[in-house]
Amino acid sequence: MPRSGQTLIPTFSREPSRVAIRRASSYAGDLSAIVYETLLEFQLPVEGKNVLLKPNFVGPDPQRTINTHPAVVAAVRESFLRLGAQTVSVGDGPALDRDTEAILESMQLRDFLGKALQHVFVDLNVDDAQYVPLKTHASRLKGLYLPKTVLAADFVVSVAKLKTHHWAGVTLSLKNMFGVVPGGCYGWPKNALHWAGIDRAILDINSTVRPDFAIVDGIVGMEGNGPIQGVPKPCGVLVLGNDPVAVDATCARIMGLLPERIRYLAQAAYLLGHLQEEKIGQIGESIEAVRTPFGVLDAFAKARANPRASGNGQP
Amino acid sequence: MHPETGCVVCWCKIASKFWWHSSGRRGGCEIIASVHRTRVILMTSFAEDVCLPALVQAQNEDGGWGYRAAFASRVEPTCWALLGMAGHVDWERAGKALERGYQWLRSSQLPDGSWPAVAGQQEGSWTTALACLALRRLETATAEMDKGLAWICQEWPREGGWWWRILRWLRREENVSRQNDSYRGWNWTSRTSSWVEPTAYALIALDSTPASQRLKLAVRRRQLGEAMLYDRMCPGGGWNAGNPTVYGVPGDPNVVPTVWALLALRHNRSRPENQQSVDWLEQHGIRTNGPGSLALAHLCLEVYGRSASPLEAALQEFYRRNQFLLNVQVLAWAALALSPRPGWLHTAEEVVK
Repeated sequence: MPRSGQTLIPTFSREPSRVAIRRASSYAGDLSAIVYETLLEFQLPVEGKNVLLKPNFVGPDPQRTINTHPAVVAAVRESFLRLGAQTVSVGDGPALDRDTEAILESMQLRDFLGKALQHVFVDLNVDDAQYVPLKTHASRLKGLYLPKTVLAADFVVSVAKLKTHHWAGVTLSLKNMFGVVPGGCYGWPKNALHWAGIDRAILDINSTVRPDFAIVDGIVGMEGNGPIQGVPKPCGVLVLGNDPVAVDATCARIMGLLPERIRYLAQAAYLLGHLQEEKIGQIGESIEAVRTPFGVLDAFAKARANPRASGNGQP
Repeated sequence: MHPETGCVVCWCKIASKFWWHSSGRRGGCEIIASVHRTRVILMTSFAEDVCLPALVQAQNEDGGWGYRAAFASRVEPTCWALLGMAGHVDWERAGKALERGYQWLRSSQLPDGSWPAVAGQQEGSWTTALACLALRRLETATAEMDKGLAWICQEWPREGGWWWRILRWLRREENVSRQNDSYRGWNWTSRTSSWVEPTAYALIALDSTPASQRLKLAVRRRQLGEAMLYDRMCPGGGWNAGNPTVYGVPGDPNVVPTVWALLALRHNRSRPENQQSVDWLEQHGIRTNGPGSLALAHLCLEVYGRSASPLEAALQEFYRRNQFLLNVQVLAWAALALSPRPGWLHTAEEVVK
């Protein structure tokens, strides 16, 4: 299982990361051209590899405001196929609703992918699972059952959504990896992770199955009481990078938040990637050019870069 | 794909006649899909022509079922496959598959009476209630069932103890969800909180024991569990996983937990909460985009005496689209909903009658 061979690298000895910010005003544009051209700049070693895309599919989403937009998933899949990947499958394990097909059909994923879903999509909640000792012990969890599809993938891409989160502050590419933990082993929701501490469990999961690449759909994000009950927030960006911590830190800055004040992001900077701006090579747009302050709940008011910034932090 | 066993991708025996297409340029599944489309139109019984043969084909050598064909056997899909097939015992191939399945299930019980979510795990889970439910039809499994039900009665969720309640009260300003912690149901896995579905499964499993024989603890757990379900109902009816409001904002119900909660509370069908929730299910369950939700919604509406739209044609269409994402459990739910013998939900008293 290739993924279990990954090693954690202390930040001081980690190479600088690269993050691209691309403007995309709507889902109707040619997203696949944007994604493909950006991926070319990273020279990813995916030729002949089995790539797994891990989107953020939380629940039924007919308005397509909660989940990673299917147009983004389709564009990323097409781009990796163009880069020579042998297979590109899409897999997620929604946490709150066990009827995964209802979720996928509610947002018409099949129409965007142009294929019957059983040939492309893997429901990670009910995948064959294998017990894996965790590489870090930030939480009290010693190990987790993880889907064999994830463990066997050569290259994992977290394809997250730019959203606030009522318990973690933000949900981006690292928090998105919660979805690889199978409901068939832990239930719906995966409550064992909550009891272990959400922030800490995020670190442990990512230390064990750290995504090789991260893409965040920020064309329309969500502010306030996310990840489900927040308010859609147009932001007009796609953020892509070879370091999920750097991608998430960049996203937080775009949202007008200080990543070092988001607890799990600050801790992720020790072993999982770069948080500091000077360690992140920026490609494309600057953060300032696309900054769109997101409203956050009072519990995360301290994370605001500008405490007086307005925004819809309801309720 | 293998010429002897058929197609593990789409479960179809027809595949064995077309197995050579897998190496062809068009790919086997395209052709098989078109064969399926033709076949679906021709068939008379979706359960007997598709669900049951697919379940038999997906059964592992060891007698259990995985969540998909060729996946390792797990307790939950095995229980659903058994329940789905047991409603069609007249179907000629059901008997042997059931026998092997029951055997696997009995051998998977842990020494403390519980069943694990994953083989090899030494800890009980929500699957214990499902196993008790599945074993009800087996007269020789009363010892296993009794041990399982006793474990269910003694398995408490982590929240709701005095220490937890004091902590919650002290930090009441920070509480994001509204719930009465004194009502304790059941958890998915040990040392976690009560949630709607596992609580409903446990309550349904406890119905297997005649009221006169129930342990005092079982009676108390039943009261607490029912109270917990009503406490967690979404404003306006229906249930989601178990957070009816977060930060004061009402959550949306989902079909699957609503079905299980309603089935667990079916003895109180005239209560306003039940009626409100059945109304929600009647309105939303039939319009769902998922075959699993649709099959369960149909089943629940029938129990509540509400008319449900024809199920078979809708399931056929779902199967044509995505083959239920190859999920054995969804196949089993479809078989269960189309079952001519729906006695699996009867209480011990109803079985005697």
